[in-house]
Amino acid sequence: MADLFSLLVQSGNSLAAHSAALATAGHNVANANTPGYSRQSVELVANPSSGSSGPFAIGMGVSIGAVVQARDMFVERQVPQTLAAGGRSQAESDSLQAVSALNPDLEGGLTTSLGKFYSSLRTLSQNPGDMALRQAVVISSQNLARSFGQTANSIEDARNGIDAKLNGDLDLINTAASSLADLNARIQNAHALGGKANDLEDQRRTAADTLSRLTGGSTYTNEQGDLMFALPGGTALVSGASAGRMSAVPDPANAGHFKVRVAKSDGSLAGDVPVSSLGGEVGGLLDARDGTLKTALNQIDGFAFDLATAMNTIHSAGYAMDGTTGRPLFTIPVSSSGAASQITVNAAISADATLLAAATTLPSATGDNRNILAMMTTETQVLAGGNNPVATLQKITGDFGASASRAQAMSQHDSAMVNHINQLRESTAGVSLDEEMINLTKAQKAYEAVSKVIGTADQMLDTLLKLR
Amino acid sequence: MRVTNYMLFDNAQIQTAAARDRNFAAQQAVTTGVRVVHPGDDPAAAGIMVSYKMSLDRLTTIDKAVSRADDELQVADSSLQSVSTLLARARELTVQLGSDTYSASERANGAQEIRSISDQIKQVMNSQVAGRYIFGGNVDRTPPFDAAGNYLGDTTTRQIEVSPGLVENSSIRADQVIKGVGGGVDVLGTLASIANALASNDGPTLRGSITNIQTAGDQVAAALTQTGSMLDAFRSAQTVGQAAKDSAQKVLASETEVDIFDAASTLAAAQQGLEATLNVVAKSFQLNLLKYL
Repeated sequence: MADLFSLLVQSGNSLAAHSAALATAGHNVANANTPGYSRQSVELVANPSSGSSGPFAIGMGVSIGAVVQARDMFVERQVPQTLAAGGRSQAESDSLQAVSALNPDLEGGLTTSLGKFYSSLRTLSQNPGDMALRQAVVISSQNLARSFGQTANSIEDARNGIDAKLNGDLDLINTAASSLADLNARIQNAHALGGKANDLEDQRRTAADTLSRLTGGSTYTNEQGDLMFALPGGTALVSGASAGRMSAVPDPANAGHFKVRVAKSDGSLAGDVPVSSLGGEVGGLLDARDGTLKTALNQIDGFAFDLATAMNTIHSAGYAMDGTTGRPLFTIPVSSSGAASQITVNAAISADATLLAAATTLPSATGDNRNILAMMTTETQVLAGGNNPVATLQKITGDFGASASRAQAMSQHDSAMVNHINQLRESTAGVSLDEEMINLTKAQKAYEAVSKVIGTADQMLDTLLKLR
Repeated sequence: MRVTNYMLFDNAQIQTAAARDRNFAAQQAVTTGVRVVHPGDDPAAAGIMVSYKMSLDRLTTIDKAVSRADDELQVADSSLQSVSTLLARARELTVQLGSDTYSASERANGAQEIRSISDQIKQVMNSQVAGRYIFGGNVDRTPPFDAAGNYLGDTTTRQIEVSPGLVENSSIRADQVIKGVGGGVDVLGTLASIANALASNDGPTLRGSITNIQTAGDQVAAALTQTGSMLDAFRSAQTVGQAAKDSAQKVLASETEVDIFDAASTLAAAQQGLEATLNVVAKSFQLNLLKYL
């Protein structure tokens, strides 16, 4: 049979349990807006009878069974992949949307410059001896060459910008990897001391989410309960309490653009990560840099080279006003590589517009426009690349636009998926202030009731002690 | 579904941002009137823009070049009309003074008039448009006829692109029309011969020149017909070009510009959507248990 002193002791324990429930609700309220926080709850367990109460089992109040986190592992398993896909498509889309060099309406862009170049030739064809019109052709040729250069440089600048962003992302990755390894160690220590480390596990999950979003890698848990992180392709980045380090190094095979290297925690080289294997934001950046943008750059180089070559062939066959021949209109490199950024107008022609070869015969009459007419035909002639200049530019613009549009559509889709998975996760793990207010009130009322029990026991003891 | 406070705020943020984005896009569409700025906005339309903008540039420049060539041809036409009139007078004089009823002094006066006609023809055939001699073929910076009536131009016919890929003649060969190269008569030579015959009171030679002066007139008339047909070709090319330009502009506009009525109604819908979103968000923030406890 329970004695009054036991009642006081069990009530004291119950007060502690309800205080803990109150404190946990308070902790939840305080962390309602903390990213990655999973709400916690106290599992109250009824204390069984001590066994000395005779035939009747009178319990011994309540105590704390555990403080547990709300987490849906079905959702959690989907989070890394969803974050990685979202990070990848958004990074690619943002990178491509930022490139305006191929906007079809861009003043001074390739479409405008190419149109003006042929217009100037056409105008000159009507009066090829007119020096002002010759000068206009020289200027429009220079503008076309400049436009090729600006377009190529603008795309190359975007690729360099991606390199800079890649460097920044690698810093974030290294910070998150160190944090994950450190948290693995701290959680192990907490477990060794017999405790649970709910809040540290939240932080560890947040670090792992960051790594997944940035690299597309995935996590797995080892036997000791450490959260390991492996890059796509299997290279381990975080193993237990050890974190590797990712760095960007110039790749001579890719015009000095960065490739990604992983070093083990002891500093030894784990190897270069194949660029194609990386996912997440880094993968998206590399998709844009070495995919769409590189393709566009190569296409523009090829276009500049083919157009200049076709023009030079015709121009070289014509005669300038002084009767000289064999002079190319454009100066270009020997191959298409880098042609767009290197193309210039022949320096002699730039300095003297009479050297434009408008005539086809000697003596070169000032009114002879036949070589200009021949140059004009290149507008509809198939270049070495397989299309005429207009169709080539149309294809470059269309191809780039299709890639940008696809990336944007993917980004919108993946963004919706990320929002959805975040909501599912939040629905389980997030803090509802309404619920916590109820939990607070529930704990408060229980605390008050237990206090009442203590008061009653106290009165009973008092009565007992007054007996004579 | 369990709804948490974070979800409420997060959702409010996403929905408000999306509503503002739609509103901003609708505003931009109405204010700029442009539907495609970045190739990614509509890749197919962006490609079409490249093609049609180039096409418009081409048609516009062709039209301008044809207009200038048309100016030259009109001056050529007017010049040849003058030559034709002068030759008609020369033929009239030749026929009239070919009769032996005229005295040597009357024929000498006629010789002077014929020489004057010849000089006027040379002058007319040295006509320029914007500093460019129009009858010298590709030699356009020096007069095609010298004082002695020698032709100094070349034997080419100028050509110009009148519609995409189509090149047409745009000048008259004065070596053929005036000098008779290729089977005609030498107009200036015939006039000189008539003037000499008149000066020397040589009736038979004078009468023998009537056929040549008649042929000369026919040569010029044929050139006038040729000029007229070239002008017609230019005009019809310009008409076709204008139609092609209109069509290209229409396609370009339909592919790249917004339909203003559509854009305005989209903007109104976006504004209403934004207002509704802000209202819902504000109300959802007000509802929580803290207010009632």
